[in-house]
Amino acid sequence: MHIVVLAKVVPDYEVPSVDFELVSNRAHPRYTRMIGLYDENAIEMGVQLKEKHAASLTIMSYGRKEDIQILRKSIAMGGEKLVLIQGTSDDPFVIADNLKTAIEQLGGVDLVLAGRQSADMDRGIVPGVLGEMLGSRFIPQVSAVENEDGAWKVSQVTETGLRELEFVGNGVLSITSVPENVPRIPAVRAIFAAKKKSVQTMSGRDGDESWMSEVSVEIPKMESTCEFLPVEDMNETAMTLLKRLKEERYL
Amino acid sequence: MGRVPYWNISYGIGIDLLAVPLIIIFLYGLYGHWKRIKQGKARLTFSLRNSSLKIGPVYIGALFTKGILGSRIYKKLFTGVAHGFLFWGMFLLSIGTALVFLNVLFGLPVFKGAFNRWFMSFALDAGGLAALSGTLFLLIRRLAFPPEGLVAPKARPGFVLMEVAITVIILTGFLLEALRIAHNGFDEGAFVGNWVAGLLGGGDSLSLHQIVWWGHGFVALAFIAYIPYSPLIHLVLAPINTSLAIPVPGPKMGVLDFSAFEDEEAEELPSLGVCKLTDFSRKRLLDFSSCLWCGRCHEVCPAAQTGKSLSPKGVIVTLSEYMNKDKFQDDSLLDEISANAIYSCTTCAACMEVCPVSVNQPKAIMRMRQHLLMERSEIPDIMGQAHKSLEARQHPFFGTGSGPNDWRKDMDIPSFEEGKTEYLLWIGCAITYEERTQKIARSMVNILQKAGVSFGVLEESRCTGDPAKQMGNEFLFSEIAQQNIEEFTSLGIKKIITMCPHCYNSFTRHYPPLGGLFKVVPHSVFINSLIKSGRLELRNGEQTICYHDPCYLGRRNNIFAEPRNVVASLGRLIEMPRNRENSFCCGGGGGNYWAEEEGTRINQARAKEALDTGAVKIATACPFCLLMLTDGLKKYADVEKAYDIAELVNNQLKDG
Amino acid sequence: MKTVIIEIMDPNRLGELVTVSKKFCDTPDIIALGKGDLPGTFGKAFHTSETISANLVSDISELLKKEGYEIIIMSATTIGTGLAGPLAVRLSGSLISEVTGVLPDLVIERPLYGAKAVMQCKIEKKPLILTVRRKYFEKDMLEGTTETIELPGGPEKVILLAEKEEKQEGIPLEDADVIVTGGRGIGNAENFAMLQDVAAPLNGAVGASRGAVDEGWMPPTFQIGQTGKIVAPSVYFAVGVSGASQHLAGIANAKCVVAINKDEEANIFNRARFGIVMDYKKAVPALIDLLKKEV
Repeated sequence: MHIVVLAKVVPDYEVPSVDFELVSNRAHPRYTRMIGLYDENAIEMGVQLKEKHAASLTIMSYGRKEDIQILRKSIAMGGEKLVLIQGTSDDPFVIADNLKTAIEQLGGVDLVLAGRQSADMDRGIVPGVLGEMLGSRFIPQVSAVENEDGAWKVSQVTETGLRELEFVGNGVLSITSVPENVPRIPAVRAIFAAKKKSVQTMSGRDGDESWMSEVSVEIPKMESTCEFLPVEDMNETAMTLLKRLKEERYL
Repeated sequence: MGRVPYWNISYGIGIDLLAVPLIIIFLYGLYGHWKRIKQGKARLTFSLRNSSLKIGPVYIGALFTKGILGSRIYKKLFTGVAHGFLFWGMFLLSIGTALVFLNVLFGLPVFKGAFNRWFMSFALDAGGLAALSGTLFLLIRRLAFPPEGLVAPKARPGFVLMEVAITVIILTGFLLEALRIAHNGFDEGAFVGNWVAGLLGGGDSLSLHQIVWWGHGFVALAFIAYIPYSPLIHLVLAPINTSLAIPVPGPKMGVLDFSAFEDEEAEELPSLGVCKLTDFSRKRLLDFSSCLWCGRCHEVCPAAQTGKSLSPKGVIVTLSEYMNKDKFQDDSLLDEISANAIYSCTTCAACMEVCPVSVNQPKAIMRMRQHLLMERSEIPDIMGQAHKSLEARQHPFFGTGSGPNDWRKDMDIPSFEEGKTEYLLWIGCAITYEERTQKIARSMVNILQKAGVSFGVLEESRCTGDPAKQMGNEFLFSEIAQQNIEEFTSLGIKKIITMCPHCYNSFTRHYPPLGGLFKVVPHSVFINSLIKSGRLELRNGEQTICYHDPCYLGRRNNIFAEPRNVVASLGRLIEMPRNRENSFCCGGGGGNYWAEEEGTRINQARAKEALDTGAVKIATACPFCLLMLTDGLKKYADVEKAYDIAELVNNQLKDG
Repeated sequence: MKTVIIEIMDPNRLGELVTVSKKFCDTPDIIALGKGDLPGTFGKAFHTSETISANLVSDISELLKKEGYEIIIMSATTIGTGLAGPLAVRLSGSLISEVTGVLPDLVIERPLYGAKAVMQCKIEKKPLILTVRRKYFEKDMLEGTTETIELPGGPEKVILLAEKEEKQEGIPLEDADVIVTGGRGIGNAENFAMLQDVAAPLNGAVGASRGAVDEGWMPPTFQIGQTGKIVAPSVYFAVGVSGASQHLAGIANAKCVVAINKDEEANIFNRARFGIVMDYKKAVPALIDLLKKEV
């Protein structure tokens, strides 16, 4: 069994709004770069599958060369191999196309896991596009994966609950976060071992990005007029709150 | 007429001959301790600046004060005095017995004249009386009204037997003396013996004397032989343990060496931290053997006192039980103690400060924490998030609403420039990423500018790595520290002012072994010197201010006076019941700033203690303490009461 | 432009998508999924009861090609996300996800960086597939009904083994006028019951932040935020929620946010209309008492 987990290095997704600024339509380069949050859930899930089924686990990323040292964390968590496709495109079709080529070059990949959406572009498109390009089943918002007798059993989080799905053959799954896949902290010896692992890098291909053009990227103004209610007597506070909510026609 | 040794006893030399096998039993017991202790690792020596007199590994001062005089025991007055009576009484009696022995062997004239009267009779009677009253106090206290620490989580077995044995030995000793006096007549000086002889009503039984004599001898010898197998072995171990403890405050964690991991050739990599007894150093195993389970540490521990699963005594008890059961390779140790307990330690070091026999509890706990984090990746959830943030973005304040430069908004602050700037004003993470504590930095900048101090800041504020170290990740700490040291060196930084005691402690204790030698001054000390030298003029207020000692400034670095001087120049300083080296932690240390506490909240307990002094303001000198106290006070007060001393000083600067 | 909606037959979801479709055409066509009756008036209406996206891709892409649709609209939900990527590849079309605004001349608006930024982009190539973020568009009234043409079912590549509905007492989060959400500050699963006591008398629903879901205190279905439910209640109580931008992205259209948090610096207060700086364990019981009396 060969599992590939896709991970993207993104600017710190916890930068507070007050400190957020753009440079040429993208987050300022001063922000710390890190693996996207759902990608870490996907890596954790990949590691768990690897441990359970003695599978091989490759971490694949599309990004810059400097991202390698950040991506090493995924190796320390339990990934066996790191493949970086060097490129700077933000286009989901270009990225998916590059990933497709690299996965086909790896060969024998049974399952591809990816975070449900990246923490920078917030699109969640790449896994679906890649799935179709690879001719694999694509299932979004997956919270658990098992392999039983060659069939994949997955749990999918929907708007109303949970679905248990089963399929045979190759799959691309986008992963959502649940308590079971909270990323582990790599042990120190694993961090050192990860430093020594060689990384396979390949240069990415450009593609046609003319299907859309960016008109603008802007930081929306947020009005912030919080009225702090006095808290000496909570019963009174509750009364004031309810009165105000009714007066202002929210209730 | 002088006393005759072995009076009324035939073959009295038999008792001396019997002493030989019993001493062998005693020595064998001692050897057993050594055999267990030597299974630990040889101690790593690391340089810590201290000027204490030292012969080999033995610190002479500590040997005499904490070791032989037992100076720490008297922190609890009654228990201390009772222990003193018992120990020094027995000490006199042992000298007396030794002198009798010398008299038998070499005819040393101890039973003659004033020496016999004042020492052999009076002093030994007084010693016996003191030891008896001391033992009875301790025995009754243990059985009838034990303090919380003595019995939580359990009392050490073996004390009652030994205390009863001492009582029997002393009582039979007095009886013997009385029987002798009853037969031979009044003995000047032997006031107890004379009195007991009086009680016997002139009855005179030579045969009873013989029975008691042999009984006294046997019990006394058996008692001595049994010492190494009983808690009384602390007679030997405690002075050794105290004299080997480096007399520098705090747990002295040192730094770990990760070079083996970098080595491509290394075959076996060392296990990090501690998961079984043999991973500890011999000094720690000596700690566990010396510990009397007195529980003084339990009584001062902020975690144990607020319903957490940690008791420093409980930890040492488990460790010493593993030692006694020879479970040296058993790695169930951490589960037995529980990760929860190991992570509840705030590293405040109150436990080791009160320990009469210089056990280093925090170091043992931290070693186990290191293993949990670096080998097993176990950490409580919220602390884990802070840890992850520190790893990814070099500060632990996940979810902060502040950017790295918010603290200096609208302020004109110079950057550090080599040759132009004297001091680096170090802005740590706690000051950068919390709105409340940003005011400390703003106040400090204003103070330094008013006083005309040449200072600058780094372009980007960062962390010393201390939270990583406290959470048990020595590796992350040394990575961050080395990065900082490189940058400081390349910038030509030589003098640093810190506003956070954790940064101060890191810089002074843990950076030097990594090659970072800087002159570091905590802001409390610096402000105090500015006031003293007249570079700051303050309006003195009438307000009462109580001062909370941050553990990392006070107990761990002995800086008590300077912040108090600063407070005293602002208003009337009042103290909380627990102050200076006995201060109670705010609850935020050891990474527990990021913890979901079980039980009562430590910061609320401390805030209450501060409020109860009636002080108008509560001062401290640590951003973590300030945040914890501010939060704790919300339960009791609606107005802001807690401030950093820099804020208070800034508010009372004279204009112009 | 020839526009089609692909959606399950949920009047709320459909209503929002019809509003979006009116920016491109007068009456859209529809491919209705799942069970139920189709509300509203559409041009052509196709139907299949299949709701697993992977089983729909082939049939729907054939249909879309055959009919020559230029605009394809779905909601940014599990099924929409499942279809959008594969369809974009099959149709060699454009795809914009998580749409929050539609402007003239095929300029589409969507958030970036956890909604800390908003991007407008112009589409140069059709067909265009949009997945629309919920609660950003008013619901169309959906008058009338439309006859549906049944689509032939294809082979099932993905089998549904079981479907578990999280029992939701009262109203679904997306439709609730009042939502009471708990965050990591709640501390444990038991205390979420307290929030139910605030929501119930106000006819509201209980939600959770990503932190609370990651702790396992609430099932993922109750998660509110950019990657959970997008909601637009009139009153949103945020209890022990710190207010990360990804969470705020999910409540961007809430009308009045009431924040209860003991940390006065919590980011949620930057979004709140009313703030109560207090431990929720004190504040919420007082609120419950009052609501018991008032309602």
